[in-house]
Amino acid sequence: MAHITINQYLQQVYEAIDNHEGSFCAELLSFKHPHVANPRLQLPSPEDKCQMVLEPPYDEMVAAHLRCIYAVANHDFVEAYKFQTLVVQSFLRAFQSHKEENWALPVMFAVTLDLRIFANNAEQQLQKKGKGQPGEMLEKAAEQLMSCFRVCASDNRAGIEDSKKWGMMFLSNQLFKIYFKINKLHLCKPLIRAIDSSNLKNDYSPAQKVTYKYYVGRKAMFDSDFKPAEEFLSFAFHHCHRSSQKNKRMILIYLLPVKMLLGHMPTHQLLKKYDLMQFADVTKAVSEGNLLLLNEALSKHETFFIRCGIFLILEKLKIITYRNLFKKVYLLLRTHQLPLDAFLVSLRMMEVEDVDIDEVQCILANLIYMGHIKGYISHQHQKLVVSKQNPFPPLSSIS
Amino acid sequence: MNCRKATRRISHSQRRDAPTDREWRHRNQEQWRGKDKVQVKPPEEDERHKQPEKDIVPRGTCQTMCPAHELQVRETQNRLHRFEMLGGTERNRRPMGDPLRAVKEYSRPAAGKDSTNPKELRPPAVLRKTVRYLIDGIAASSSLHPWTEVYNFVFDRLRGVKQDMIIQRVTGSDCVAILEQTVRFLIYASYRLCGEPLRLYDPRINDTHLQENLSWLLDCYATGTELNTNQEEFQALGLLYNLGSSRATQHVMDLPERLRRSPAIRLALSINRAFLERNPVRLLRLAQRLNFLQCCALHRHLVPCRRDLLLIFSHGYSNRNCRFPLDRLAQLMSLDTSLAAQLCQAYGLEVNQGNHVLFSKAAFTEPEQGKLHCKLYHNIVAEKQKDLTVASIIHGYV
Repeated sequence: MAHITINQYLQQVYEAIDNHEGSFCAELLSFKHPHVANPRLQLPSPEDKCQMVLEPPYDEMVAAHLRCIYAVANHDFVEAYKFQTLVVQSFLRAFQSHKEENWALPVMFAVTLDLRIFANNAEQQLQKKGKGQPGEMLEKAAEQLMSCFRVCASDNRAGIEDSKKWGMMFLSNQLFKIYFKINKLHLCKPLIRAIDSSNLKNDYSPAQKVTYKYYVGRKAMFDSDFKPAEEFLSFAFHHCHRSSQKNKRMILIYLLPVKMLLGHMPTHQLLKKYDLMQFADVTKAVSEGNLLLLNEALSKHETFFIRCGIFLILEKLKIITYRNLFKKVYLLLRTHQLPLDAFLVSLRMMEVEDVDIDEVQCILANLIYMGHIKGYISHQHQKLVVSKQNPFPPLSSIS
Repeated sequence: MNCRKATRRISHSQRRDAPTDREWRHRNQEQWRGKDKVQVKPPEEDERHKQPEKDIVPRGTCQTMCPAHELQVRETQNRLHRFEMLGGTERNRRPMGDPLRAVKEYSRPAAGKDSTNPKELRPPAVLRKTVRYLIDGIAASSSLHPWTEVYNFVFDRLRGVKQDMIIQRVTGSDCVAILEQTVRFLIYASYRLCGEPLRLYDPRINDTHLQENLSWLLDCYATGTELNTNQEEFQALGLLYNLGSSRATQHVMDLPERLRRSPAIRLALSINRAFLERNPVRLLRLAQRLNFLQCCALHRHLVPCRRDLLLIFSHGYSNRNCRFPLDRLAQLMSLDTSLAAQLCQAYGLEVNQGNHVLFSKAAFTEPEQGKLHCKLYHNIVAEKQKDLTVASIIHGYV
C-alpha cells in the first residue's frame, strides 16, 4: 500500500467515490494516512493525471491534495495551506451536489481537520520569518470551515439518516479550536446556538460531544457562568475516554477552578495522577483560608495559569478564601458577636496590603450579600453578629 | 484493497463534456499556472498573496485637510460647518470656505461611490497635521463654543481621518500616533459630556467608536515592531475603561511581564481586581491614585461601583437597630455628605434626622432609568483636572 503508483492511487480514489465509501475516501485524502509519505505521489503537477481518471470537481480536489503532499514534503506549509484550501473548496462543491446523501462526511472531517492544522503550521512558519499578522491564516481557515458549516446546517431536506447536519458538531469543534486560539470567543455563540437548536445534539459521537462540551464549558467559564461551566466540563471529563489521559488533564485544568469556586476541592491523589501539582498549593490555601499562601501559589505558577487562561478564575477564589479565613476566626472566638478587629488582625496576618477596618467591613458585607455568611454588621458596636444556626453555610449550597 | 468493487465504469469523457465544467477547469488551470510562474521567483518574495493587494492600495495625494473638490461642493451646497467658514463671510447668503480650516467630512461608504480616488485621500503626514489642527485649533480652542458642537465637529472629522487611514492601510507610527490622540479625545469627551442631552452627545456612539479605535490601537501595539512609548498608558486606559470585562483583563494578562509590571498597568490591574472581588471601598481608594485621564476612563464605572457599595452594605448592615453614620459612608464613597445622602435616597435607603443611614436589604431598590445623574457625582474626577488644559490632556502632556 505504501508505495503504490499514482495511477493505482487515483484508481482507488475513483472507486471510493464511485462506491460512496466515505471512510476509505477520507483516508485517501487525509494526512493521517501513510500514503502522504509515498514519494511516488509527491508530484509537482499532477493535474493532467487526475483529470484523466476523475470527474470534476474531484479531479481538482485530488490534484490539490497531491500538490499539498508535495508541499508538505518540502516543508512549505504556506504552500500546503493554500492547496488544502483548494481541496476544501472543491470538496465543498462536490458535497453540495450530493443531494440527500451524507456519505462524504468522513471526507469533510479529514480535509477540514488538515486545513486547520496547516493553517496553524503556516502561521508559525510565517511568524518565524517575521511575516504575516498573527491569526490571519487561522481566520481565513475559519472562513472556509464556516462555509462547510453553512452547507451542513442548511441541509433541511434530507432525512435524519442522510442529513449533512451530522457534520455540524465536528466543524464547530474545529472552529472552537481556532476561535480559542485567536481569542475571538464571541464568535462561538452562533455555533453553540445552532447546535443547541438542533435535534441531533444528543446523538453525535461521544468523542465529538466530549470536545464540544469541553469548549462550551470553557466558554461558559470565560463568561463567568460557573454552574453551566461545571456541568459541561464534568460531562467532558466523565465521558472522555480513559486512555486519553492528556485530554482528561486538559479538561481538569478548567474543571478544577470551577469546582473549587463551587466549593469542591480536588484530592491530592487526583492532582498527582494528572500531573497538576500547580494546583496543590492553591487548593490547600483556599481550604485553609490562607490568603498568604494563595497569593504565593498564584504568583509562583503565574505563567502556567495565565497561559491556560485561568488566572482570573483562580483570583476569584479569594472570596472563598476570605470566607474560610473568617470562619476560622469565628471558630476560634466561639461567640456569635465577633469584633471586627479580629478580622482585621487575621487579614494583617495574611499580609493583605494596607487593609483597614473599612475594607474589613466591605469584605464582610460582600460575603453576607453573597450568602457566605449569615448575619449582619453592627457599625455602632464594631461587631459582626452571626446567626446561631449555620453562620457559614456550606459552599455547595450557595449558587 | 483488492476487494474494492470495480463495478460500473462511467465514461468520464462523456461526463466531462458538460461545457460549464470545462470552462470552470480552464479558469482554474489558469489560476494554477499563474501560481507556477510566481513560484520561479526567489523565496524572499514570498509575499505573493499580498503583492497584488499592495498594488491596489490607494495612496493619497491630497495635501490639504480638505480635498479641493469637497470644499467646493460643500461651499456651493451650503454645507460648511461654521468652524470652516472664511472669517467675515459667515453671514453671507453663501459663506465661503476657509481652505486653512476646512476638514474632510466623514462620508459613509456607499455603492457606486469611489472612495479610493487619490486626490480625495490625505497621505499620513497630512492626516497627522489634520489631527493636530483638530485638537489644537478646535478641541482646545477657548473661543469656540459650545463644546458639544466642538465635540461633534471633531468627532466627525476624526472619523474621516480614520476612514482615510483604513482605505490607505496606514500602519506603524503614524497610525499609532493618530489613534492614541483619538482615543484620548474620546475618553475625555466621555467624561466632559456626560449628562448632555442625547441629541448633542450620545454615549453609546462615543463608546462604539472608542472601542473600535482602542482595539485597533492595541492591535497595532501587538503587531508593531517598533517601540511604543505610550503603550503602558493605553493598555492601562483600555483596562480601566473596560473594567471587569474578561476580554480586556485577559488581554492585559497576556502582555509581556515587563509591561504588566509597569506602575500604570499594575494600578489598573489592582483596580480591576477590586472590581471583580466587589470591593468598592478599595476600588475608590485606589482610584485616588489615578491621573485625570485615567479617571475619565474609569468614570463610567463610578456609579455602578457606588451602587455596589450601597447594595452590599444594604445586606451587610441590614438590621433594624443598626445605624451607619452618613459622613463615614460619604467618605467611603468619595462624595460630600449631601450627595451621599442624595445617592442613598435614590436607591431607596433612608437617611434619618441624625444623619445616619438605615441600611435594609428590603429597602434597596434600583432607581428608575434616567433618574440618576452621573454628572452630579463627578467630583472624584473633576478634582484631578486642576489646571490641565484640553490640549495637554489630549496630547498626553501630563
